[in-house]
Amino acid sequence: MTTVPNEGAVPNVKTTVRPRSNGFLDGLKLLLKSPPALFGAVVFVVVLVMAVFDDQLAPTGANEVDIQNRLLAPGAGHWFGTDDLGRDILSRVILGAKVSLQVGVVAVGFSLVVGTLVGLFAGYYGRWVDTVLMRLMDVLFAFPAMLLAIAVIAILGPGTTNAMIAIGITYTPVFARVTRSSVLSVRESVYVRASRSIGSSDLRLLFRHVLPNAAPPIIVQTSVSLAFAVLAEAALSFVGLGTQPPDPSWGRMLSEGREFIDLAWWIAVFPGLAIVLLVLAFNLLGDGLRDVLDPQQRSALQAGRRTWGRRRK
Amino acid sequence: MSDVLVRATDLQVHFTVRSKGLRRRQTGAVRAVDGVDLEIRRGETLGLVGESGCGKSTLGNALLRLVEPTGGTVEFDGTDVTALNAQKLRALRRRAVMVFQDPYASLDPRMTVGQTIAEPLQIHGLHAGNRAGRVAELLELVGMDPSVASRYPHEFSGGQRQRVGIARALAGEPDFVVCDEAIASLDVSVQAQVLNLLRSLQRRLGLTLLFVSHDLSAVRHLSDRIAVMYLGRVVEVADARTLAADPQHPYTQALLSAVPVPSPKEERNRERIVLRGDVPSAARVPSGCRFRTRCPQVFEPCADHDPALLPVADAHTAACHLRNASRISAESSTSA
Amino acid sequence: MSVLEVNDLRVQMDTARGTAHIVNGLDYSVSPGETVAVVGESGSGKSVSVMALLGLLPGHARVTGTAEFDGKNLLAMSEPQLRTVRGNGIGMVFQDPMTSLNPVLTIGRQLTEGLLAHRSASSKKAARERAAELLADVGLPDPKAALDRYPHELSGGMRQRVVIAIALAGNPKLLIADEATTALDVTVQAQILELVAGLQSEHGTGVVWITHDLGVVAGIADRVLVMYGGRCIEDGSVDEVFENPAHPYTRGLLGSLPALHEADGEDLVAIGGTPPPPTDLPQGCVFWPRCPVRADARCETEQPPLVGIGGTHRAATFYPGVPA
Repeated sequence: MTTVPNEGAVPNVKTTVRPRSNGFLDGLKLLLKSPPALFGAVVFVVVLVMAVFDDQLAPTGANEVDIQNRLLAPGAGHWFGTDDLGRDILSRVILGAKVSLQVGVVAVGFSLVVGTLVGLFAGYYGRWVDTVLMRLMDVLFAFPAMLLAIAVIAILGPGTTNAMIAIGITYTPVFARVTRSSVLSVRESVYVRASRSIGSSDLRLLFRHVLPNAAPPIIVQTSVSLAFAVLAEAALSFVGLGTQPPDPSWGRMLSEGREFIDLAWWIAVFPGLAIVLLVLAFNLLGDGLRDVLDPQQRSALQAGRRTWGRRRK
Repeated sequence: MSDVLVRATDLQVHFTVRSKGLRRRQTGAVRAVDGVDLEIRRGETLGLVGESGCGKSTLGNALLRLVEPTGGTVEFDGTDVTALNAQKLRALRRRAVMVFQDPYASLDPRMTVGQTIAEPLQIHGLHAGNRAGRVAELLELVGMDPSVASRYPHEFSGGQRQRVGIARALAGEPDFVVCDEAIASLDVSVQAQVLNLLRSLQRRLGLTLLFVSHDLSAVRHLSDRIAVMYLGRVVEVADARTLAADPQHPYTQALLSAVPVPSPKEERNRERIVLRGDVPSAARVPSGCRFRTRCPQVFEPCADHDPALLPVADAHTAACHLRNASRISAESSTSA
Repeated sequence: MSVLEVNDLRVQMDTARGTAHIVNGLDYSVSPGETVAVVGESGSGKSVSVMALLGLLPGHARVTGTAEFDGKNLLAMSEPQLRTVRGNGIGMVFQDPMTSLNPVLTIGRQLTEGLLAHRSASSKKAARERAAELLADVGLPDPKAALDRYPHELSGGMRQRVVIAIALAGNPKLLIADEATTALDVTVQAQILELVAGLQSEHGTGVVWITHDLGVVAGIADRVLVMYGGRCIEDGSVDEVFENPAHPYTRGLLGSLPALHEADGEDLVAIGGTPPPPTDLPQGCVFWPRCPVRADARCETEQPPLVGIGGTHRAATFYPGVPA
């Protein structure tokens, strides 16, 4: 039996001779090589630790009123100072982390799943499915985000859980739109046609081919939305509709610290910084994740041919 | 078991053109495939040639129901595929497959080459427990090193990616393979490699091939028989050697004379038939013989009667009044 | 007196993967009325070599050598100087007419703009008349009506004719066509080739025709230059090169083409492997890794120079004409 000569053999391709590293752990390692993503990961982990071990880490409780020591500047006993009721700011920041993370993750988780599914089906099937689903999304989109969240809270009542629902609903249309437009371009791809030609069902095409290739914008949107969700929770709490007192929340602390900004800047600044850092962390992680998940970018990174974010000369 | 594996009867694929605006009435139709009768015999390579807009790609896709026919029937191994339900259609997709033109776009960039080749096995539940082995076998079959299965498409050249596409097509041991401009996007020296590969695979595996291409020389090299298409119709079918040596339809003659030959002597001495004008739009097909607007040998009956594809010699059919003159006069005398 | 004379043209570019040596010492000349074909596959550097002549490469490309056109060195010209040459002394036709033509301007406007800019016409009215003349010259039916059409209203063949009209509007001494008929159907290609040949003999224009299609070369070229890995590995008159291909690559290329009238059942002679990337060219002979002749170690370490092998025929190989 004659064999076909090995004319197509890869030896001419000198680029990738190193052992393949496609596992999850290798991906993680690669992700952490990038300074921005590493920073984001570190901040995220710190906040996570704060959220999980809040009681152990916080020097005092959230609401230990100590009038004698009110409005103390940051110093030995109170690293972040105290507020107008003498409560330790550091403790409140640590204890508030849980709420911010929780609301962010749960809300965005909800909108990610629902929005992506809506966008996936609308973009893939088109026609009336698309029309019905996207018009529904348009209705939600028509409301300014804060107004929509406030409207939902008005129906459900204030509180952390309801804030999660409200923010989740508010961000669902964004995911639907981003997913849909990404799906629209991917579904015309030849590899989707090719997969259909070997007998793939619609569902298989959607989840095995379309979704993974439509994913990058969705991932970036997730990190952006996480950032916004944290801000939204802070905003809702700021106006008193989110986390209710006496539970600590970075947003509430910002609100409460407003009137003392001249006297005791630390009351508002530290929670504010916490919000900024967390939002930044989510953005940086999102960018890094998107690059690592793309096989082409990943190869280039692995080969050291690209430094993160910039081409090497 | 019949000799004919695939049979198209009066196959039509019309795309409707709708007006913009609220009501979107149908204002016309693009007649991409406009009444094609075609037979592809078991084990043969049928070449399908024509220029852009002739409908050859659409025909190839319609035979596999990757594009829905709007009229006529397609039979695969005796079964009418135009009427199949989803489950039976999936079973068909194991036996009748396609190799696509663009090697850079036909492989999912997020799947390894091994995963891509294994996909048909997963869909049809084949080789469970030893899929990796089958993938390695297929890679060797197309002339590649089995160890590359874990790499991603972007790490390969165009020719190598096309081999992967072929391996994927062959994974389920199909009977019928449609090659839709499978070499058009490759470099010249790589085209030869892939042509050789296709020929050797066809022989080894007993495949039936439909080779769709605008490159007449490549088609002539690979095919047993050739069908020529123009504006949605098959205008001539013959044995490959005969078609190249003695074309009967004026369009085929012009096509052959336009193919550049890599020999300066021949080029200087050949007689060129240069067609005037452009191909008409498939939305406004000329009445009568659709080639008459550019045909150098157009005469009376051409504007009124649409010529049928009729035998002009042994195993050689052509749709041209010139060649079927006797037929027409016989018809008109009976209808008079 | 040649229209164009290129000497030791070299183009390098820095990329993320290292320095790419895209063109490595190209020499050729074009006489009036002569067609020189530059043949090569993708990555051979053929397109980049002419873009270098016209100053159309990105800023970080390093170009050395000389290219004498009309007594002046194109490679030493400034951008404003090049602009007067482009479209006037040198006409260009690229592969895709849809991207060469501005989709939002009418055909007439695109022609008259060039005519007025290069002062080939004195007024808008005169420019329009000249534009209609040019369209008639390239065989466009109903030229006056065509002036007011947009590119998307024309077919591919018609668009390419318009591009040719624009290229020839300034009565250039040299026409550069880069894969000008590759995207066209074979019957339309035949029309365009006939058109260019006719216009060329009428005006005595020199033509540099870049393509990968050896059939087209055989039909229109007087001289051929075969490029591989950025080098010219064979050149000569079209008869010399096609009748007696000397370099193993040229022989391989010609042998790998399926012919319309051939003996049945023979496999094509395929050249194994793929062309080298410009960032990673082989040490010695640039074709050595794929060469079926592979006679000795000299090929691996030494670069064969272009030597004459008869008449105007030259080849860069230590083993001209040796079968594999």
